[in-house]
Amino acid sequence: MSSISIPNRRNAAARPPPVPSSGVSFVLPALLLILAVFILPVVMLLLRSVTEPDPGLQNYRELFESATVARVFVNTFVVSGLVTAIALLIGFPIAWLLVILPKRWADLLFGIVILSMWTNLLARTYAWMVLLQRTGIINKTLMGLGLIDTPLPLVNNLVGVTIGMTYIMLPFIVLPLVTTMRAIEPDLLRAAALCGAGRWEAFRRVLLPLSLPGIAAGGLLTFVMSLGYFVTPSLLGGAGNMMAAELIAQLVQSLLNWGLGGATAFALLVLTLALYAVQLRLLQRGRSQRGG
Amino acid sequence: MRALQSIGVIGAILGALTLSGTPAHAKDMVFTSWGGTTQDAQKQSWAVPFSKQSGVTVLQDGPTDYGKLKAMVESGKPAWTVVDVENDFAVKAGKDGLLEPLDFSIIDKSTLDPRFVTPYSVGSFYYSFVLGFNKDQFGKKTPKSWADLFDLKTFPGKRTLYKWSAPGVLELALLADGVAPNALYPLDLDRAFKKLDTIKSSIVWWSGGAQSQQLLVSGEAPIGMFWNGRIDAIRKSGVDVGVSWEQNLAAADALVVPKGVADKDTAMRFIAFASSAQAQADFARASGYAPINLGSKALMKPEEAAALPDSHSQGQITLDMAYWAEHRDAVAKRWYEWQGK
Amino acid sequence: MLLDFDRLGGLKWVLVGIGILVSAFLLLPILFTVALSFGSSQWLLFPPPGWTLRWYEELWADPRWITSTLTSLQCAVLVTLLATGLGLLASFGLVRGRFAGRETVRALFLMPMIMPVIVVAVALYAFFLRIGLGGTLIGFVLAHTVIALPLAITSISNALERFDKAIEDAAILCGASPWEARLRVTIPAIRDGLFGAAVFSFLTSWDEVVIAIFMASPTLQTLPVHIWGTLRQDLTPVVAAASSLLLLFTLAVMLLAAWFRRRST
Repeated sequence: MSSISIPNRRNAAARPPPVPSSGVSFVLPALLLILAVFILPVVMLLLRSVTEPDPGLQNYRELFESATVARVFVNTFVVSGLVTAIALLIGFPIAWLLVILPKRWADLLFGIVILSMWTNLLARTYAWMVLLQRTGIINKTLMGLGLIDTPLPLVNNLVGVTIGMTYIMLPFIVLPLVTTMRAIEPDLLRAAALCGAGRWEAFRRVLLPLSLPGIAAGGLLTFVMSLGYFVTPSLLGGAGNMMAAELIAQLVQSLLNWGLGGATAFALLVLTLALYAVQLRLLQRGRSQRGG
Repeated sequence: MRALQSIGVIGAILGALTLSGTPAHAKDMVFTSWGGTTQDAQKQSWAVPFSKQSGVTVLQDGPTDYGKLKAMVESGKPAWTVVDVENDFAVKAGKDGLLEPLDFSIIDKSTLDPRFVTPYSVGSFYYSFVLGFNKDQFGKKTPKSWADLFDLKTFPGKRTLYKWSAPGVLELALLADGVAPNALYPLDLDRAFKKLDTIKSSIVWWSGGAQSQQLLVSGEAPIGMFWNGRIDAIRKSGVDVGVSWEQNLAAADALVVPKGVADKDTAMRFIAFASSAQAQADFARASGYAPINLGSKALMKPEEAAALPDSHSQGQITLDMAYWAEHRDAVAKRWYEWQGK
Repeated sequence: MLLDFDRLGGLKWVLVGIGILVSAFLLLPILFTVALSFGSSQWLLFPPPGWTLRWYEELWADPRWITSTLTSLQCAVLVTLLATGLGLLASFGLVRGRFAGRETVRALFLMPMIMPVIVVAVALYAFFLRIGLGGTLIGFVLAHTVIALPLAITSISNALERFDKAIEDAAILCGASPWEARLRVTIPAIRDGLFGAAVFSFLTSWDEVVIAIFMASPTLQTLPVHIWGTLRQDLTPVVAAASSLLLLFTLAVMLLAAWFRRRST
């Protein structure tokens, strides 16, 4: 205890008046929980990647040599990127509308977003499964309208996964964006108009940059959550285009190969953290440039 | 100090929570199976009468999850007493040291179908993979053999096959390609995958029984391989789907005991009861799957027995569990690599 | 201009058009689920051959739906309290504190979100069995709290960062104790963030299925576990009926909340 709080006290002396010497102790309960109930068990599992079936790195060798694993990781990143991009593309106008619509309509739209979030994840995913199938009402409607002759393959492939995941991730984009956009001063845009900026100019040089923190926060959250997503890909995806979490589940649950499963999980974790770090760095640079 | 206080508060909350957990009673046992109508039948035919006879409360859990089973055994305190697993898994898990050897002084081996008995498992029930099809889709043409499953011209549309690496799909591909039933094993994997490649883009994989039924009835996949009990259930619901028993592929589920269970004796007595002639007959009547006790058929009415895989033993092929136990990992590796391509 | 709906001109209608399309996208599976719950086809055919209340009757007859809903509710409420409470404390530490390794700690808190949930499930399950928490409510609550914490901390930290600490200091200058100031000035000011944290935590636990499948025991099943089992084994429209009832409940809560808000303003 005391050894932890010493550097803290020194900092406290350097920066008056901070929260008195308590930064660490505030964080401690949550930190202990994470260490005991997350880090410890997960590390124990990941360690099996170098101990099972024999001590050594053969699981990692297998991982890097396997064309399947490479393909699965490419799939995972492509789908996550696609989901994030589409969710941002349709989430931005929704957030915008939520900020500017007359209160009654904004409440209604907000209600719809929240309602979609509160509907059971499994039920939503199954609904998509039935909706998207070849004999489902989407294909039937499109054929009835004469838009297509043969049913489109919308499910059991990456199209289905992308649709289903975009649906689930949309609120995670919209909610942070709304908070950010609400904080933008309308006067700034009025000023831009007074300075002769057109709509497009005002959008590109004022609204978009000012929304950037929300876009970054929501986008990062969505992307990271998508990488490890399991339920939707396993129900709406096909066997030919697995995502990483499914592969890990298969190794762990069907094949009982916890060594390779642990190695795959570790690889996914390292890749995600690396990406996270890069994005954070870019974000900070962007922020400091704007500031300077 | 403040930190200690907050930890204390959390400790108190957690302590209060622990008390609300409900640990299973010592005299209880847990039977785990795959859920649905099959497990309902197992409960009614095995667990309820067993409880009446022995006074042991049988809790039902499920669905069976091999990863969970392995984690339990490794922890040294398995929560499951008796588990219904697929037969090839039973053989493999026995070899890997995940299971208790069965006590055949309590379980009467002599009355059981020897195809489904190993040192670590006895059959739970047996079923067949059959060819099922949606009658609305193919007009007057009726698919009959596994070869028809691969005939995209005569029977166009998606076909649905069992997703996991398990006995069944590879065998039917070889049979469709003209391999004689007695020359199936050892499986010619190259040939099987080559045959499957010819329909690969038309395959929709089913991962559970309910999904296979939905695919068939909706016409999403008008033809495919199914567990015979699932086809039976569709027909009982009033939807007329076609079935062909030609070269039906018989496989069994198995009852096993995870290594380290607290009350081995109860586990053995439960298995002895569940595999008895009467319990097996009751289960078969309720589920449409076949009994593994050789004495059960005599206890059933002829018309009840007619729907069972037993009655289609002509041309029936028993999937070779010894082969699968030996090659399960190697086949699985190739299977998932091929499937993922 | 761009943030004034009435002065958007043509752009207004583009936005409204997108809004309608996206609303339809969001509502489609929900309405479809409701429709399925009244359809008479056991195999989810649509449009169904007829309409029926049979699935609601089956739902009513099976007590497991009620018990699992209660278990989920109990678990989710405890997770909400725990995650929001711990998240609030941690956010104070992360935003206000100055200590070595703060960024590392922040990254640690986000880890549960990154790790594929299947890994967390297997790891926690094995671990809990070993320490005797397997199949207990406390196991559920701890596991779900860990994966809810990242969202709770993010939500509260964001709010806390936007809050001007000078206001809290002013309260202290006026004679309030630091705790009093936090309780009566800061916490009300960041209530949006707290509310967001609570909602996310509740939903995380309420909808979580992968960990729950592992944690579940015969005597303790959450609603998603029961739904998962039912869907995998029977795929019956009873699930659609259950979802529709939950939807009705959610709608009722939302309308009630809206009504309260209107009354208070």
